Amino acid sequence: MFLLRKYKTAIFIVTLLVLALIMFSYNLKYGADGSFLRKIVLETIAPAQKVLSTSVKSVNDAWLRYVLLVGIEEDNKNLKNKINELKAALILYQDGYLEAQRLRKLLDLRDDYNYHFISARVIDREQAALSKTILINKGATHGLKTGMPVIAPPGLIGRLVDVSWHVSKVLLFIDENSNVGAIVQRTRTQGVISGAGPRGLILKYISKTQDVKEGDVIVSSGMGGVFPKGLLIGQVSHVDRQDASLFLKINVAPFVDFSKLEEILILVSEENKIK
Amino acid sequence: MLYYLLLPFLSILLVILQSTITDIIFSGRLVFELSLIVVIYAGFRLDLIRGSILAFILGFVFDCVSGSVLGVFTFIYVVIFLCSFFASGRLATEKIYIIALFSFFCAFLKELMVILFYYSTFKFDVLINMYFVSLPQALIVGLFAPVFFYLMRRVEVSLYEKAV
Repeated sequence: MFLLRKYKTAIFIVTLLVLALIMFSYNLKYGADGSFLRKIVLETIAPAQKVLSTSVKSVNDAWLRYVLLVGIEEDNKNLKNKINELKAALILYQDGYLEAQRLRKLLDLRDDYNYHFISARVIDREQAALSKTILINKGATHGLKTGMPVIAPPGLIGRLVDVSWHVSKVLLFIDENSNVGAIVQRTRTQGVISGAGPRGLILKYISKTQDVKEGDVIVSSGMGGVFPKGLLIGQVSHVDRQDASLFLKINVAPFVDFSKLEEILILVSEENKIK
Repeated sequence: MLYYLLLPFLSILLVILQSTITDIIFSGRLVFELSLIVVIYAGFRLDLIRGSILAFILGFVFDCVSGSVLGVFTFIYVVIFLCSFFASGRLATEKIYIIALFSFFCAFLKELMVILFYYSTFKFDVLINMYFVSLPQALIVGLFAPVFFYLMRRVEVSLYEKAV
């Protein structure tokens, strides 16, 4: 009893540390991402964060609008030229698309899944430097579930990892925890896209004999059934043919600027069975 | 009692403020770890029980908001608090350069623990982040800590004057 009283503070500190370690080990083993306490904290943070980010965004937008007025005429002219070029390209692609539709019908190929989108607003960004996540303002009450793919035009950005009632957390592709099946669009070579934090993405397990070069577009392979096939992921920025390794070291620059995400779309499968 | 009741809400507010500042200044590229500076400040100013509870709750809130495994930052924050608490008796904590250097050391220690955790648990090769993320982040904490300490001292003085 005397010892307990004498070392009261020390025992308390050790208890706190042990409690943190137990919490950590339990979550590591069982992956309790959707724990009740975590949900409560997320639900408490969401409204305040939403108000703050909306006000910051409106101030920022007003400032940017003012800055953008400078040189807008030149931009306008350039954009008009670009639109004309893109219109011409679009006509070509439309032809190709229609042809693909005809061929698909001919071969009796169908989409395996039917998706619809739920839009959401980004209300918070990652807090820990090595963890690349964002918080969005939709949750289980809006029909979201853990594992659903998330896109921000023009490409795929990640998947839902933690869904609370009105808030959800998205694990971005650039997080080191993230791995997605991918294909090099030009050569149809399959690999795995892994997050590399501030360095963007890395395409793994591509043999040195394969033809991959800078500028190649990487799309999702649809393997594993989590992500639909053919969604844009990024573009090869660097190919390193190291002598010692069996595989190529390929850096991929994502199509989406993750630091500027504001609105995102969640792909919700309408029916999970094959038609 | 009021301190313990308000602590969770204040911690949540602090984390929200931290993420807003981060968003404005660094556009999500780096994290401005105000919560870590608060933990170091607590180590210099508060007693063991109060400070460790603050570090525990702040770490837990940070764990909930960040995408990490629950418990990582809770543990690290309590360790950082203990480091600051025991160092406060041996350092001249009123000197600006001591605050800056010690905060830099604590931030770097925190980053090192996170990297070691990722490396040992998930076998992720995140050591390269040491240069691109950990060092800049520790520098930011080291630079801003004296400003925060100065502001807190001003608040303490004005509160004391009011009380008198």
